[in-house]
Amino acid sequence: MFGWHGRLLQVDLSAGRARTESLPEEWLHHYLGGRGLAVRLFRDFFQIEPYSPEMPLLFATGPLGATAAPTAERMAVVSRSPLTRTLYDCSVGGRFAQQLKCAGFDVVQIDGRAAVPMVLAITPSGAELLPADSLWGSTVSTTIAALNGRGSVVAIGPAGEHLVPFATIVTDDGNAADRGGLGAVMGSKRLKAVVVSGAKLPEIADPARFERAHNDILRLFRAAPVLFGELGLGAYGTPTLVDLLAQRRMTPTENFCKTFFAAAANYSGPALRAACTPHKVGCCGCPVQCQKVTADGAYLPGYEALSHFGALNNIGDLTAIITAIRTCHELGLDPVSAAATLATWGEVRGAFPTAAELVPLLHDLVWRRGAGEQLCAGSRQLALAAGKPQVSMSVKGLELPAYDPRGAYGMALAYCTNNHGGCHLGAYPLAHEILRKPAPTDRFSFAGKARMIKIAEDINAAIDSLVACKFAFLGAGIEEYAELLAAVTGVDFTPERLKEIGERIYLTERWYNDVNGFSVIDDCLPERFFREAGSSGDGIEVPPLDRARFDEELQKYYRMRGLDAHGRFVDRNFLVSLPC
Amino acid sequence: MLSQLDKYLGKLHRDALVKPQRAALLVKDDKLLAQGPADLSSLGAAILERINVLALAIAEPLLPLTDLLIRRAAPDCRTLVPSDTETRTFLHDIPLVRKTELTTGASALLADLLGSRKGIIVEGVGIVTTGAMTPEMAYINWSSVWHAVFVKYLSDLLTTGIRSPDDELMVAALREQYRRPITLADCCVRATPPVERSEIYAQIERIGRCTVDLQLVDSAFGNISWRDGGMIYISQTGASLDELAGCIDPVPCDNSSTVGLTASSELLAHRRIYEATGARAILHGHPKFAVVLSMLCAETGCENIDCWKDCPRIRFLATTPIVPGEIGAGGLADKVAPVIGAAGTALVYGHGVFTLGREHFGEALERLVAVENWCRQEYFRRLVVRMT
Ligand code: SF4
Ligand SMILES: [Zn+2]
Ligand SMILES: [Zn+2]
Repeated sequence: MFGWHGRLLQVDLSAGRARTESLPEEWLHHYLGGRGLAVRLFRDFFQIEPYSPEMPLLFATGPLGATAAPTAERMAVVSRSPLTRTLYDCSVGGRFAQQLKCAGFDVVQIDGRAAVPMVLAITPSGAELLPADSLWGSTVSTTIAALNGRGSVVAIGPAGEHLVPFATIVTDDGNAADRGGLGAVMGSKRLKAVVVSGAKLPEIADPARFERAHNDILRLFRAAPVLFGELGLGAYGTPTLVDLLAQRRMTPTENFCKTFFAAAANYSGPALRAACTPHKVGCCGCPVQCQKVTADGAYLPGYEALSHFGALNNIGDLTAIITAIRTCHELGLDPVSAAATLATWGEVRGAFPTAAELVPLLHDLVWRRGAGEQLCAGSRQLALAAGKPQVSMSVKGLELPAYDPRGAYGMALAYCTNNHGGCHLGAYPLAHEILRKPAPTDRFSFAGKARMIKIAEDINAAIDSLVACKFAFLGAGIEEYAELLAAVTGVDFTPERLKEIGERIYLTERWYNDVNGFSVIDDCLPERFFREAGSSGDGIEVPPLDRARFDEELQKYYRMRGLDAHGRFVDRNFLVSLPC
Repeated sequence: MLSQLDKYLGKLHRDALVKPQRAALLVKDDKLLAQGPADLSSLGAAILERINVLALAIAEPLLPLTDLLIRRAAPDCRTLVPSDTETRTFLHDIPLVRKTELTTGASALLADLLGSRKGIIVEGVGIVTTGAMTPEMAYINWSSVWHAVFVKYLSDLLTTGIRSPDDELMVAALREQYRRPITLADCCVRATPPVERSEIYAQIERIGRCTVDLQLVDSAFGNISWRDGGMIYISQTGASLDELAGCIDPVPCDNSSTVGLTASSELLAHRRIYEATGARAILHGHPKFAVVLSMLCAETGCENIDCWKDCPRIRFLATTPIVPGEIGAGGLADKVAPVIGAAGTALVYGHGVFTLGREHFGEALERLVAVENWCRQEYFRRLVVRMT
């Protein structure tokens, strides 16, 4: 087999055992890897409670991993989210994904619960469990440093140990499974960290074809200003979005009460460059290198974390913002959900946190002290408990990222149709509505958006299964990646076939939600966006969303997906209709 | 969505690219919407049924160059490989479908090809393109394939010569169509430097429209900018030059803000040119005859393969230097800036023309017109030499 190893490593923490299983080739051809393969593997588990020992935690690589395919040193980390109660997948780049693939496994499935804290060490010959009593309670960087030399590491911090439902799993090169609380699932298994090392490169079926496709992609990257341009992601990282979204008047400010924050310039790309003189790093093997580190090796935050600790909480102090985000990193806490939960709390109590309060509040959150008792469950539970459910700016319990939906109507729809909650990455409409890729669309119009979101969701589900980075598709397209995949695997993958696979993955996730009781009432945005206008100005009007048009487009979307008016499956034998 | 269909169908006709009544545009929203003649619409609908894209354009070009190219191609040739850089970067190659292949399962075959490529050429039908997300994309891909076809046919006439009586007829038709030089409208020549910000925007919009009206660019390809003190006002990436209202980014020269993230992919080239020349205005387009001539090199025994990016020499067409260079971060900026100052014009191999306005936009536009007019004349002069 080319591209895949066809092997799954199953680790049972309860029994302290590990074994290797072979993956059916059919599954690989129909679900690729990463998110797709995980979705297939979850068929037996999707109704299990997130913290039940029977709930698996998966690390799934894809067929492009370790092949020099641009941006494809990635994996999907997947389990059922304690925050949204849906299946949740995070696309995570970097060394760990590469090493896992090179260890000869496509997927690691971790089941059970250890009696005492453990570290899982994976090598090409299998797995070993190491006692981790001394590491339990440590911060992320202490844990990673302690395991230095054993391979590439992912670890949880105190937040994961304390089952904060938005805890992260952090890699040793500054990446993370950051949203959806998968760190808490790992914590519930008493698994502090995983280390992996390997050296087995997968074979490529047609190296010459691979080379051609690779060059086509790099040419497109170079032609894409948003990737390689002097203001692009390579130059400034995602903070390059700060100025742009401020200009577009779609910066969520003061818990989404406003959409413009004058002090955003304090933490813009150029401001960070001036204050921290960062240099470029990124996922191994990626030509874009969109991450930034300071001279002393500290990772600089990305756009969403900056904007949510900044604008969303009405804080303009760069040092305080960076310190708060570092604290999240060390505690193993999703900075986006953490900041959004603080903002919700701020609106409930009538005062947003001050810069000085941030770090103590984050510690209180993890250790459930004082206000932390309310904060630790996330914004939805907090707002419910306060009797103001509409103050949680979330969809399916997932706090919205830093793109105000009143400034991009495709985004508004995509937040709701995303299977794991208010996340922009499922359809990534930012690409066409704001970044003009692959072509610009009118951000203040719903026309055609249902179809665009559906097509993009399918494509992105396939991308998350390759596993490639969303940013790559601001330059290249599914055509070029299908060609790359065909070259790697020797299987006749075409763009249309990838879209079909993506659709199968999306619908399976949706089916799991359906069975778990989700429907149209869960596909809805907070009331605020339909009632209150954003901050107009600079010639840009930001009215409230038109509820009727939103509903009409959502219904169109359901029809395109073959769902009924409640967003539920008409075909109750959906799984049976799948090829495998 | 219907208004979008009308708009881009209108553009295909306005650009004089398609035969009257031989263009259809379709979009798959909740339901399938189509505009255009019934036969093309139903073929389009059958294709759209099979692939996951939002829009489709299907139209017969006014000049039958697609059919002529197919007839010139070797019988086993399956794709057209465009040699101009912009189309090669974005389209890679363009599949050819012959009449003989258009039996009963035609729509399946075409859908199959369109599943992997943004545009295809179909003998007797014309050019068929998809728009993954919008009807505009189908229109842009159509004109992009047309650009590649035009450039390829005209280049081939000069390199491999006239092959048939049909070619001869076409040469006559082309000479007739391009006999008269492009002349500038008064409003453009008399442009004075804008002062207020609103005037800057208004002039950029107007000059953009002029370049399209004069057919110096296919509306979606090309860019335009104005430098005012510490700011560069530049058209956005993917903006149509005839619709620049709301699509101009103000970019600070010192990079103190990143709002220019959505600016044209040639922002860096514009910036370097301003630094090197002190000019006020820059215009960049892909006029077809200039693109054709830029790729014809008299050098013999040259061992370069990728001339378009690696040519070590600076060649000239009249006073205009030709340099190699790839779009965006691929080095075009470093090659153009040092050479454009002397004549105020520069050509990028297989790509297009940059021109300067030292004081105002009119100059830049005049230079663009002059380069293309010169190249038209020169093209037909060389063709006559080649024919005799
Ligand atoms: S673009 Fe950035 S996030 Fe994506 S693979 Fe490259 S370095 Fe990683
Ligand atoms: Zn997501
Ligand atoms: Zn160009």
